[in-house]
Formats: sequence, C-alpha cells, structure tokens
Amino acid sequence: MTPIVKTEWLKIKNYPAFWWVFGITALTYPGINYMFLYVYYDVIHQKSTASKVVTALMGNPFSLPEGWRTMAFFSSFFIYIPAIVVIMLITNEYTYRTNRQNIIDGWSRKNFMTAKMTDVLLLSIIVTILFAVVALIIGLSNTNINAPGKWNLSYYIGLFFLQTFCQLSIAFAVGMLLRKAFIALAVFSFYSLIVEEIAVNFLKYKYKNEIGRFFPIEISDRLLIRPAFISKFDEQAYQQALNAVKYHVVYSICLLILTWLFCFWLNNRRDL
Amino acid sequence: MHHKVLFMNVEKNSPSAVLSLDKITKSYGPIQALKGVSFEVPEGSVFGILGPNGSGKTTLLSIILDVLKANKGNFLWFGHPGSKEQRKKIGSLLETPNFYHYLSAINNLKITQSISGRGTIGDIDEVLKKVRLYERRNSRFSSFSLGMKQRLAIAAALLGDPKVLVFDEPTNGLDPVGIAEIRQLIIELRNSGHTIIMASHLLDEVEKVCTHAAILQTGILLTTGAVEEILTDDDAVELSASNLAALGDLLKQLSQHVTINNELNTVQITLPKGTARLDEINEFCFKNGIILNHLTLKKKRLEARFFELTNN
Repeated sequence: MTPIVKTEWLKIKNYPAFWWVFGITALTYPGINYMFLYVYYDVIHQKSTASKVVTALMGNPFSLPEGWRTMAFFSSFFIYIPAIVVIMLITNEYTYRTNRQNIIDGWSRKNFMTAKMTDVLLLSIIVTILFAVVALIIGLSNTNINAPGKWNLSYYIGLFFLQTFCQLSIAFAVGMLLRKAFIALAVFSFYSLIVEEIAVNFLKYKYKNEIGRFFPIEISDRLLIRPAFISKFDEQAYQQALNAVKYHVVYSICLLILTWLFCFWLNNRRDL
Repeated sequence: MHHKVLFMNVEKNSPSAVLSLDKITKSYGPIQALKGVSFEVPEGSVFGILGPNGSGKTTLLSIILDVLKANKGNFLWFGHPGSKEQRKKIGSLLETPNFYHYLSAINNLKITQSISGRGTIGDIDEVLKKVRLYERRNSRFSSFSLGMKQRLAIAAALLGDPKVLVFDEPTNGLDPVGIAEIRQLIIELRNSGHTIIMASHLLDEVEKVCTHAAILQTGILLTTGAVEEILTDDDAVELSASNLAALGDLLKQLSQHVTINNELNTVQITLPKGTARLDEINEFCFKNGIILNHLTLKKKRLEARFFELTNN
C-alpha cells in the first residue's frame, strides 16, 4: 500500500458515516437489478395477451450477453449514492480544515489531490466490481448454460466503470468548488437529475438540436444505452445511439481529464 | 509613532538561521495583511511573533507552512525554499487544531504520522502521555474540550521529536495549569536545543519563554531581535519642581518622551535602558535654574513598552 493510499485508508476505515453510505451503495446495485428482474418475471408469468406480446418483444433482457447492457443501464441510475460518499470525502476535509493540516504535516497540494483522485478511482472500481458481480449472478441464472457468446457484451463492465468514474469525478469537482456537503449534493443532484435532463430533452425535441449530448453528465450517460428491447420502438435511433458509444468513450475520457486538471489547478491556486 | 520603526534587512541564508523571511507581502483583496516583512530566526531560539489581533501573525505562519501563498517576497528554511520534505520535519500547530472529528486521538495521530513520517506508532502513546491525553486516547476528537483539542494539536506537533516547532497561540483555550504546563514544555524544548517559532498576543508569554521576538502591527514589522533588547524596560525618571511647565520644557532637551502629570504634580521622562544618571539630571536642572523637589528612577512596565511600540 502506498503512503497516500494508506493515509486515505486511515481516514476512512473508522468513519461510520462512510460505511453506512457504502453499505447502502452495496445494497442498491443488487437491489435495483433484482427489482427490475422481478418486475420482468411478474409480467411474463401473467397469462394475458399483453403479457405474451411483451415477452415476445423483450425476450429476456437479463440473459447473457444482453444482460450486461441491461443491468449496466439500470445500475447507472444509482450513481447518486456513491456520489454522496465522494462529496463527503472531499467536503469533510474543508469542514474539518484537515486539507490544510495534511499540507502542514508534509503533503504537497499535488499529493492531496492525488489522494482524493485515488479515493474516487477506487470507489469507481469497487462500484464496478459490485455491478459486475450482480450482473454475472443474475445473468448466469437467466442464461442457458450452453448458450453461446455469454461474454460478448462484457465490455459493458468497462463502459460502466468509465461512466461511474466520470460522473463521480464531476460530483467531486462540485464538492470541491462548493465545500459544503449538503449544498454540493443538492447542486449535483438537482443539476444532473433535473436541469440537465430538461435542457437535453428540450433542445432535442423542441429545437432538434443534439448539442445536449455534450453536457457534462450526458456525455457519459450515452455510454450505457437503454436495453435492446427499446430498439423495437425506433430501430434507427437505437442504432445511432449504439454507433455513438465509441465517440462518447473519447468525449468521456476528455471530460475526465479536464475535470481532474481543473481540480488540481483549483487546489493549487486556492489559499487553504 | 514615537519610537523608531526598524525595518530589518535580512542577510540571506546566514548559517545559523533556521528560517529567513525576505520582504513577505500578502494581501486579501484590498487589505494588506503583511507589508514586506523580513527577519531571521536563529537556530536554538524560541522566537516569538508578537502582535495584537489582526497584526498578521497567523498569516505569516501560514505562508511559511505553505497553506497561504505570499504575493511577494520569499522565505528559506535552512537556506532552502520551503518544500514538503522540510515541512515533514517541522512540528506545527497553526491557528486551530485541525483533526478528523469522527476519529479518536490515537487514530488522528496515526494520520499525522503517516503523512509526516515523523516518529513511529509507538511514539504516539508517548506524546499523548506528554500532553496528558493518554487516558482519552480512544475518545473521539469531537468529544474533546477546547483545551484537550489544543493539547492534541501540540502532541501532533511533538510527534517524532522534530527539531523545529511552529506554534500559533499554543496556550489558546488552556486552563491556568495547562498554560503553565505548555510554557514549561516549551522551556524544556528550548533547553534541549529545539528551535521554536511561536505566535502570541500575550506579552508575558513571550517574556517568559522566548529568547527572540518580532513585533508586528497591521502587517508591518516594528522591531525584531533578542527579547532583552526589544522588550526590556526603559529607564523612566520621575521628577517634580514648583514650576512643572518649565521643568517639562527643560526636560525636552534630555528626552523625546516627556509626560506632565498635573494631578500627581510630576513630570516623567523615558530614557534608553541604563542611561539615566540621576545626579547628572539633578545638576542639569539646577544649572538651568530649576530646583527639584522630587527625583526618582522608575522601571517601566513591559506593557507600556509594547503599547509604545504598537502606538496603542
């Protein structure tokens, strides 16, 4: 363990609030996927005509390989829970003024930011592992053991990681800018859940303008597209979304780099 | 300002200087917190930075610890620009104790140890004993009183026995026993060869523990040097005669500081320490046609000297 990771671990390991939120995070990822799974089971086990139509239309979105995409999409709804952890970890440093104490004790400003970036990176990896395990368990239990190509869409694990790291990094930047946990969380949630959603769709449907796909959250939102059965409603649009993923990988990496460059720059410029 | 203001020219990187400041200037918007402050801290000294609230003491310490950036000027630790490696070797308490509220005393010091590399995990118990917090080592920081928080900050600074310590108002929030203990600790550290840089607004604290001092007022360095040179009492001479006004006028030839007290029917003059010769003053007055009916040498209080310097 490097000294920076060790120090961050010392800050976290006896922090009850962190473990509470982390526990909630660990529950939400299996929770959301099992919830949709049981909704699906409920629909297909009904004996109505509508149920038969839906079953024919959807197939089994939880079987592999399609399950990787379906569950990555559902899991991405809960980015706000690990975002609480990320915002807590940075705003605590400002609340307790330990950011300045870390510098006084011998870290450089760059060390401090590297430590925080490591926190966000490790949290993104943990959340991704959580998603991958849940997707694997649900996926395998919904897939014929001899079915071919089970791992074909497993690259969605990588896309899920990129989206998580990207959006948690934006949450971190908001926390760093605003310094107060509740204000930062409120601004992050309000912006990403309401403001950006309205702006993107307003531009898209009112003005037929796709500029919204370059908005901070939307850039990485488009990495994880909707489950395949949605394509039945508008196949052309779905194909376009699929084709755009590779471009959004590049945009997301660029945004990620810009976000952290901004955070390092801000931390270096600010008086502590 | 009736005392001369000394702007010290720093001889850069003199061999015995632990810290050299050269024309440090810092502004917060339109407010200039430090105006070209320069001085040196000799090795092995207890160096007091003395000044009233708002004089720039904490700003100055924040700059040398790299949490604030100076607008102009620079500083050298042991002849080299400040760096994280140097800060690791310096035990510091700046302004308020900054610790993780949800962690115990011992876990907070583990973080200090992990970042600074000073001392070992075993040393943590020792410093907690030294500041009388060992019994509360497993209590959360948030449950500590102000005095306990201050003592934990001092324990963090002492971890690994650094040879240079920076303390900002180290006795803040402590009870009288705690204040006496910390002052005794500082004296012990001084006697064992440590260099201590200490900001304080308490004159008697500086007088009791410091060997050297710098006096700041509204960001200006008024004077710096050995404590006995800059803060010891001047000679104050009290005189009386039948014509106080004439006596006062005459004494202006001897001293710039002449105070006529009509209620007590006395005139007081201040002369540099050790220069007052009562027989010569008596003779001077007599030769100028004034017969004294009262002449005595008084010591001037330290506070008066400080107020004189800071023009309060």
